[in-house]
Amino acid sequence: MAPRKDIDYMDGESDSDVDVIDDSGDRGKKGKGKAIDRRKKDKGKGKSSEQPYAWEASYTRSWDTVQEDEAGSLTSAVADLVARGRRRRLLAPANAIRRTIIRHLIIILDLSASMLDRDMRPTRFGLTLEYAREFIVEWFDQNPLGQIGLVGMRAGLGERLSEMSGNPQDVLKALSERHKLEPAGEPSLQNAIDMARTSMSHLPTHSSREILIIFGSLTTVDPGNIHDTLDACIRDRIRVSVVALAAEMKICREFCDKTGGQFGVAMNEGHFKDLLFELIPPPAQRALSRAAGAGATNLAADLMMMGFPVRLPDTSPPTLCVCHSELKSEGFLCPRCSAKVCDVPTDCDICGLMIVSSPHLARSYHHLFPVKPYQAVTTLDDTSTPAKSCHACARSFPEAAATNVATTEGLSPLGRYRCPDCHHDFCTDCDVFVHDVVHCCPGCGK
Amino acid sequence: MDKPSHISVILDLSPSQWHLSSLPENPHPLSLRSFLSQLLAFLNLHIASKHENTLAVFGAFPSKSVMLYSSTDPEADNTENVNPNMYHPFQVVDSRVVTRIEEELESLDQSEEEAPIGLVGALTKALCYINRIIHPSASQSSGTTSEDPTTLPDPRILVLSVSPDLSTSYIPIMNSIFSAQKLKVVIDVCKVYGPDTVFLEQAAHLTGGSYIYLDRRDALLQHLIMSHMPSPALRKLMTVPTQDKIDFRAACFCHKNIVDIGFVCSVCLSIFCAPVPVCSTCRTKFPIKTLQRLNASRPPGLKPANGALKTAPSTPHTRGPSTPR
Ligand SMILES: [Zn+2]
Ligand SMILES: [Zn+2]
Ligand SMILES: [Zn+2]
Ligand SMILES: [Zn+2]
Ligand SMILES: [Zn+2]
Ligand SMILES: [Zn+2]
Repeated sequence: MAPRKDIDYMDGESDSDVDVIDDSGDRGKKGKGKAIDRRKKDKGKGKSSEQPYAWEASYTRSWDTVQEDEAGSLTSAVADLVARGRRRRLLAPANAIRRTIIRHLIIILDLSASMLDRDMRPTRFGLTLEYAREFIVEWFDQNPLGQIGLVGMRAGLGERLSEMSGNPQDVLKALSERHKLEPAGEPSLQNAIDMARTSMSHLPTHSSREILIIFGSLTTVDPGNIHDTLDACIRDRIRVSVVALAAEMKICREFCDKTGGQFGVAMNEGHFKDLLFELIPPPAQRALSRAAGAGATNLAADLMMMGFPVRLPDTSPPTLCVCHSELKSEGFLCPRCSAKVCDVPTDCDICGLMIVSSPHLARSYHHLFPVKPYQAVTTLDDTSTPAKSCHACARSFPEAAATNVATTEGLSPLGRYRCPDCHHDFCTDCDVFVHDVVHCCPGCGK
Repeated sequence: MDKPSHISVILDLSPSQWHLSSLPENPHPLSLRSFLSQLLAFLNLHIASKHENTLAVFGAFPSKSVMLYSSTDPEADNTENVNPNMYHPFQVVDSRVVTRIEEELESLDQSEEEAPIGLVGALTKALCYINRIIHPSASQSSGTTSEDPTTLPDPRILVLSVSPDLSTSYIPIMNSIFSAQKLKVVIDVCKVYGPDTVFLEQAAHLTGGSYIYLDRRDALLQHLIMSHMPSPALRKLMTVPTQDKIDFRAACFCHKNIVDIGFVCSVCLSIFCAPVPVCSTCRTKFPIKTLQRLNASRPPGLKPANGALKTAPSTPHTRGPSTPR
């Protein structure tokens, strides 16, 4: 079981939902760098020749690198970004992808003295905290049933910064107490990973276990053989991903390769963020196309009984809750035994039913039923009565084809994008909005 | 009221439901015509209360949805029958909304009238429209929305519903709710006729709007003005009626039943109303042992079978702030 699943994880090459927006340098080259990155091949060599590391560059500012076109406008640059987003969607595999949606992640932060380095502005430490906060918010947004814990590496020890929690505020609070996180000493990968591993050992089998290490050092001070820790991670099916801020370390890459995680060295601030945010979408488990009855033996999958409660208003008469025995007005009623609990998701203290609010589950359904990509309309000759305005927002379409963007692949010169199912036309903005936010075609209503 | 506000009104225009609503057996019969006259007064009030206020009206007809009016896309006015005694914007709104509704209702034939209404389409169109007016994009160089961000209106959606829940639209409605949250759009719901709808209750709750079940339907206009007129910012200062309890039930994927206890696939979180051997969404096969255990624990007794206790496979010790510390 274990090895097969690991391979599934590694398949997830093209599943990143994260935009590859580069803040610096040549777009074409950067795209290539990314691809190599994902494929985890020859990466060190390929990359260094293409883009300077942050400490090599004299100074870079993203706004310097946005190119104006001959007419002095930024529209072509923007259009290019949009076009790339569209192409990415069209390339994404349309067939069933299974994702491990109940995720458990422990973020290991390097809090050693090397994080005080100033090659990233303001410091590696400051930037890491800032990005970690953004990462956590976005992660919970996309993985509503997931949980995150925090572990720090400082002075040769692993420190538990926050327990596993499903509430983003709990996790963010641990990061907000900056004075408690001041970097010092040497890091110990082994201690920190072991700490993370043991805190995930009790988790149910159908959830994912992941570790993300943000590593700024080039050394690790370990009490024992770190390869034993690696073996233990493989045995526990923990997926380890590393974002290195300094350079590649062999042991880090080995951890990622052998556990099915992703490894990347951040070249600059923007790339650091890209690497982190690539880890946000749930890792795909390819629909098991391989023969040998693979699906039948997928022990990790399970059917869970869940209850959807009724929430009592703040104005209802106070009653005792079963979890704290406190008098309260508000609360949730267990649908099976009608006990009142304070908060969901939780297990009913009386009958043991898992109580979740259905919107929690529904937040991830757009992964399951994505909207089909709209096709760019290149000519109206074959349409008998073309719609005058966008079917969703009623913005009128331009009368004539724009000439300057006509050559870009995946972009409609008429600004029209057509749903393959309901054959209604939508404008550029609605196309992006429908696919990225609403996840439901306004024409089909499905 | 320093900021202008935008309301996208979604009208549930199911002919069969409005027919039921107007029957004299009801305690307070309300016909579509008298509903519209009260609604138009409310719309006029919204436009008149601040010059920059904007309005869009969407109609959810049986199996389709239509934008009836929007204040940013003035179509060519038919100026022949201008009533000099009426404030012109009022007249434009009133005549446009009423004529469009009449046109659409007329074009329905008998067989279509029973079809469920296109609420999802209307909701997503309203969201796309709001997205357009609050993010006047650079790629679109039309001059109509070239306002600076401080004068962009506070958007909200008001749903006037008469139809019962359509359980097949559970997922799209949930998706619309989450996009409304992302856009910071408040969804208000006024249930004019029919049973409470679980999904719209959740929509109002999750977006911070208010859900009102209209008991006295002869007081529709008063309800609209008192509880849906104040902008969400003002509601912090005023007491507006709120809903009492919120039902978090979901619809199962297999029969579209609304369930309070469901069986959830751990891979894709699809909900089923009964234990199934294979997930119909992601084709995962479930272990036979689980099925036997779940089936054994299913008949709801006073005390659940032992298996049920083991069934809930979650992580009670770390989940959420509810555990005692
Ligand atoms: Zn309690
Ligand atoms: Zn219970
Ligand atoms: Zn549009
Ligand atoms: Zn469509
Ligand atoms: Zn069912
Ligand atoms: Zn499934």
